[in-house]
Amino acid sequence: MDPAARGPLAGIRVMDVSIMAAGPWTGALLGMLGAEVIKVEPPAGDGTRWVMPTQRGMGTNFIAMNVNKKDIVIDMKSGEGRETAMALASTCDIFIQNFRVGVIEKLGLDYETLRNVSPRLIYCAISGFGETGPLARAGCADPIMQAFSGFARSNGAPGDEVEAFRFTGFIDLATAAVATEAILAALLEREASGEGQKVEVSMLEAALEIQSSRIAELLGAGLVPHARGSESPAIAPDRAFQSQDHEIFVTAHDDAEWRGFCAAIEQAQLAEDPRFATNRLRVANVPELYAIVAPLVRARPAIWWLRVFKRHGVPCGLAHHFEIFRHHSQVAANDMIARLDTRDWGEVSVAGVPWHFERTPCGVTPPARPGENTEEILGALTGSSNSGTAASVRG
Amino acid sequence: MSMIEGIRVVEFAEGVAGPLAAVRLSDLGARVIKIECAQGDWLRHASPCMPGAEYSAAFFELNRGKRSLALGPHPQGATQLVDGLLERADVFITDRSEAELKQAGIVPGDDFGNRYPRLVMIAISPWGRRGPWAARKGSELTAQAMAGYTRYLGVHGQPARRLGADVASAGTGMFAMQAALAALYRRKRDGKGQRVDVSLLNSLISMKSIHLAAQSDPDKYAGPRVGGANNPPEQGWKTADEPIFFSFGGSVGAEGRPGWVAFIKETGLSHLLDDPRCDKSGRSSTGFGAYVHALRPEYEKAFTRYPARELAERIRCHTGSASVYLRADETLAHPQTRALDIVREVDAGDGRKARIRAFPARFSRLRPALRGNAPLRGEHTAEIASELGFDSATLDRLLAEGALQSAATPETQQLPAAAR
Repeated sequence: MDPAARGPLAGIRVMDVSIMAAGPWTGALLGMLGAEVIKVEPPAGDGTRWVMPTQRGMGTNFIAMNVNKKDIVIDMKSGEGRETAMALASTCDIFIQNFRVGVIEKLGLDYETLRNVSPRLIYCAISGFGETGPLARAGCADPIMQAFSGFARSNGAPGDEVEAFRFTGFIDLATAAVATEAILAALLEREASGEGQKVEVSMLEAALEIQSSRIAELLGAGLVPHARGSESPAIAPDRAFQSQDHEIFVTAHDDAEWRGFCAAIEQAQLAEDPRFATNRLRVANVPELYAIVAPLVRARPAIWWLRVFKRHGVPCGLAHHFEIFRHHSQVAANDMIARLDTRDWGEVSVAGVPWHFERTPCGVTPPARPGENTEEILGALTGSSNSGTAASVRG
Repeated sequence: MSMIEGIRVVEFAEGVAGPLAAVRLSDLGARVIKIECAQGDWLRHASPCMPGAEYSAAFFELNRGKRSLALGPHPQGATQLVDGLLERADVFITDRSEAELKQAGIVPGDDFGNRYPRLVMIAISPWGRRGPWAARKGSELTAQAMAGYTRYLGVHGQPARRLGADVASAGTGMFAMQAALAALYRRKRDGKGQRVDVSLLNSLISMKSIHLAAQSDPDKYAGPRVGGANNPPEQGWKTADEPIFFSFGGSVGAEGRPGWVAFIKETGLSHLLDDPRCDKSGRSSTGFGAYVHALRPEYEKAFTRYPARELAERIRCHTGSASVYLRADETLAHPQTRALDIVREVDAGDGRKARIRAFPARFSRLRPALRGNAPLRGEHTAEIASELGFDSATLDRLLAEGALQSAATPETQQLPAAAR
């Protein structure tokens, strides 16, 4: 049985005309939740098919962002293709697009048009900077929003002005996560009202949401986020310490963990030191605190610290990379990575599902080949399995 | 009417993930009761403090509009009350360990679902429900390290750097909220609740899907998702003042990428258009080619003649995308952010106002309702007990036994004056 069909959204149908990452991963999340998701590609294809690196010729980005979807090709710029798209939208519960602001109106697939066809439709529009304002029509991409949203200004070594995350796509995926929240809220509301609505999500708002705590510190207390190496402005101790061999990452959130920390480094008297009596005092006196702790940690190897911090109930860990954590028993035991056996591109590792529903489990299925379901979907739409419409819009 | 009118949420969670999920549900119309253990939510005691309050600024934003029920040092006496709360709740969000839940009379397992058949339980953990680390403590920082995030910052061999944003916790908050909404939707269909597990590590790995795929078995060593971890720190392009980031999209024709070629000519860098070290011989963009880092100083010689904001505007005029690396305060003050009405004011008690961020999406028909006033620990203990049918004599007994605490109980607010 198709594992996706059992998820909580089984029975929901999604039309996803988005490209690149933020829109497509929204569709993928809904697909993982059990919805039937139909990705609509233009004849030229979603550009991520060619983004490096490829695996056996297919952009790995495309594979990761389009799991749990069917795939059809429609030339929405042609009159006939637009009509087909409208007809398909009228069979769907959710519509997702992430064109640059203003483009969807030219295609005739804007919300006002589609709601006339299907008032129950939940229409999700994803943009870079939002649909109004001076930058509404400006181009955007993950690293652009890292710059604009302040995200990159809170990273770096102490004293650095800025450091971007060399891991492009993170803001895109955060945007998809917010879009999915909003779509689900609208879907639940539709149960009561019977009406759909438009949902607008911007990368800007999502980038601020993923910075929730730092922005709250700015709004509530005037603290502007800046580079702190591995330290946090909120709690102490909370950073990486160099041990005899590896760096060890350790955190104490509260008094119990602070006492455990002091016991682990065999400095029980520190727990009674008035300079460090509360978290806020520890944060205020952080240079003194770390001047005491750093040489102690450096004197013993990481494996000792992992044992002893764990024994005292203190969060700690090492930095891993893909080749290590992909085989970690914790990652495996919770299906955090899905190994997809694709027909054309070999075995590809992608993320496992982010939520584990006990009663309606979700799963990850490989993306369809581009255009694979064109005949099936459009045939059903026109009531015949091999209609002229389907043939003429195939890519 | 709100999005999810009448939904009752019980939150027994602290820090960022659980409280973020619950406050966003509150924005959509849910009523949230926050249960706090004797030690209190650690985020209350985090820095920086909200001026005039005992709690941190982050605590305020993530807990506004909630009511607080405080357990005391002997929560075993409060199990009947907690049971009553769960019985009438729709969603239970928790990040407490099994031992802590048990102390409060909550025993997850098969019986839990039978006891509360319509309840949606969102269980948040650092490392996941199963596996050897299931009971192990975790944190934002340790999750970032474990999931390989820290290696995309800084320089290998130098002291590690973290993402300044609490991405593991906020990401988990988002997935927790999705899980709650999806499970509520399912309950509308079949009348049954269920348990859903999310974790910090799982969330970070989920949001890394592009990178996992890129590192599976790539055809060649190409693209930032393969080499990113080993590239030098990305600190933007130098200009006359502040660093910027830019990119040019669109297809590269025979004459090059149109906007890029025009921009390069305008900035006096025409000689690079035929440089074989550049992507597509300089006619595509600086891109991510093999020499991108070696070539930077060449470009920057020209870029440093322009102030950042002017250079970004020129790039946009040539159909490229660009932004100055803004500080978060500059982001919030920017006309674009203001146009979206992202920063709002809510009540913060004693007639004061506080600024918060609005719900991160907008809806055509319904408006999220942003509540203010974060609770003191145990501020609503008496009120909630009374709603559940506990008379004042019973409440007094539970307070005296240390099963419950209220904001009026002196030991509830135990922060030393110096820490406020």
